[in-house]
Amino acid sequence: MVNMAVQVADLTLKNPLLAASGTFAFGREMACFYDLAALGGICSKGITPNPRLGNDSPRVAETASGMLNSVGLQNPGIDAFIRDELPFMAQSGTRTIANIAGTSIEDYTMMASRLDKLPVDAIELNLSCPNVSTGCMLIGSDASQLGLLIREVRQVTAKPLWAKLTPNVTSISEMAVAAEDAGADAVVLINTLLGLAVDWKSRRPVLRNNTGGLSGPAIKPVALRMVSEVFQSISIPIVGVGGIMTGEDVLEFVVAGASAVQIGTATLISPCAGPEIIRQVAALLGEAGIESLSELTGSLEYWTR
Amino acid sequence: MPDDNSINDVILHDPVCLAPVVENKQLGSQTFQLTVAASALADAAQPGQFVNVTVNQFLRRPIGIMAVDRDQGLVRLGVRIQGKGSLWLSQRRPGDQLSLLGPLGHGFTLDGYEQIITVGGGTGVFPLYFVQQICREKGIDSLAVCGYRSQSESILTEEYEAAGCQVLFASDEGDMDVKGHAALALAQLLRQLPPQPRRAILTCGPKPMMQAVAQLAASEKIDCQVSLEERMACGIGVCLVCACKTKSLAAQKQGQLIHARCCVDGPVFQAGEVIW
Repeated sequence: MVNMAVQVADLTLKNPLLAASGTFAFGREMACFYDLAALGGICSKGITPNPRLGNDSPRVAETASGMLNSVGLQNPGIDAFIRDELPFMAQSGTRTIANIAGTSIEDYTMMASRLDKLPVDAIELNLSCPNVSTGCMLIGSDASQLGLLIREVRQVTAKPLWAKLTPNVTSISEMAVAAEDAGADAVVLINTLLGLAVDWKSRRPVLRNNTGGLSGPAIKPVALRMVSEVFQSISIPIVGVGGIMTGEDVLEFVVAGASAVQIGTATLISPCAGPEIIRQVAALLGEAGIESLSELTGSLEYWTR
Repeated sequence: MPDDNSINDVILHDPVCLAPVVENKQLGSQTFQLTVAASALADAAQPGQFVNVTVNQFLRRPIGIMAVDRDQGLVRLGVRIQGKGSLWLSQRRPGDQLSLLGPLGHGFTLDGYEQIITVGGGTGVFPLYFVQQICREKGIDSLAVCGYRSQSESILTEEYEAAGCQVLFASDEGDMDVKGHAALALAQLLRQLPPQPRRAILTCGPKPMMQAVAQLAASEKIDCQVSLEERMACGIGVCLVCACKTKSLAAQKQGQLIHARCCVDGPVFQAGEVIW
């Protein structure tokens, strides 16, 4: 029997598969399709201090092997999340990760201290949303701002802190190192890539917000490269995300350096992608005679001259 | 730890089914109807609902359900060719398998009404045809207004004429019963009808047409439901890309602006909820 359990710092996950923020709501809809306890964990929709309406439609543009989204962090706000959504997530039988996003360091410290005494297994810091006009992506693209934020949040909570990094930077390793130095327990990469879809007949972008975040298989090569590069730069664990659709994809990320992974767009195409991909991973490991998934982590060996 | 069989233990209900195409019939130059064999879907589907269909592009395509045959386990989808995905769908032949996710969406409410008037414009006549089918099944008196640009662009006219309801056709060109758009024909129809307090108007079609219908319904104090359309991704309410602006009708949140999810909160909304 293959051992699918993995560690992300001090947090044990029964398997490496987590649902990515913004692709799973808070689990209620998905709970109609399968037992959420089958997953390694669920990352909540990004929560902000106040409720957010999000951007105007259209919020989606299909691309080759992917999609652009410009949802804009539509969410009920931290109060409603704690009151209405967290209790459901906490009883779903899988790890609950609260994803929080703000426009200032105070936003993050306020939300983290509120969550500190609540049943969340980790706090994922959204430092990378490309669809909000101020704040999180800007923080995520400045290493000293990012470090300062994480240091401040570290002071107000003992919960595992996962820094979710934006790929829309010159050096993601610089950001990952800053996150590690500041006390993050893990880094999550990558968030979506900033992209544009053009309607040439109307001479307008397809998305009402103009640009959006690219996700899906199209970004997997970029995500894999970044996971591998960051793996060589830091010692804290990496949660890999970006275009995973199959068990093979999961193993590619693990070999590149991920201790755990998230799926997002895959669920939008196929609701039962989560359990199906977990099944595929177990089958692949079984066929390959690999007893424990974690022994593959970071085993990628680069070619040299 | 999962082995090949244990995934079945965790799946409660897989909303995706593989359904073979039974018939692909062209209706107009840009519209066609696909009949697929999917008995669970036929049993579960309600008028106003849709299925998210895998095509040859990345995302699924939301397609309205226009009729079901529960005895034969068949579902009929009405499709307009708009791009590469729907073009691919128009080329499917009997025997081809389609991956269907559904039935999805909050559909039309028929219960509690003694008379239903459907008002469809263009391809809006597809889901309203299903409404007429259910009216027959439930013994609800119904009428249909169908509006098109011209008679040559009209679709489902014979089907509606055989649907067991009074039908009024309208065309902008004036080559059908009424000259003008569907809301105009509705106004004419309402003037002729005896009063009926438990009446609802169900409309689907281009947004300006639905807005005109909603305004008419409001002025006549008739309940009205509209079917909105937005670009979608998941269709199951988790990604939030299909946001449509609505105002809450809930008592505590009267008039509050919401970005509702067209795929689960809609596509059918009370006319009073819609922000046009």
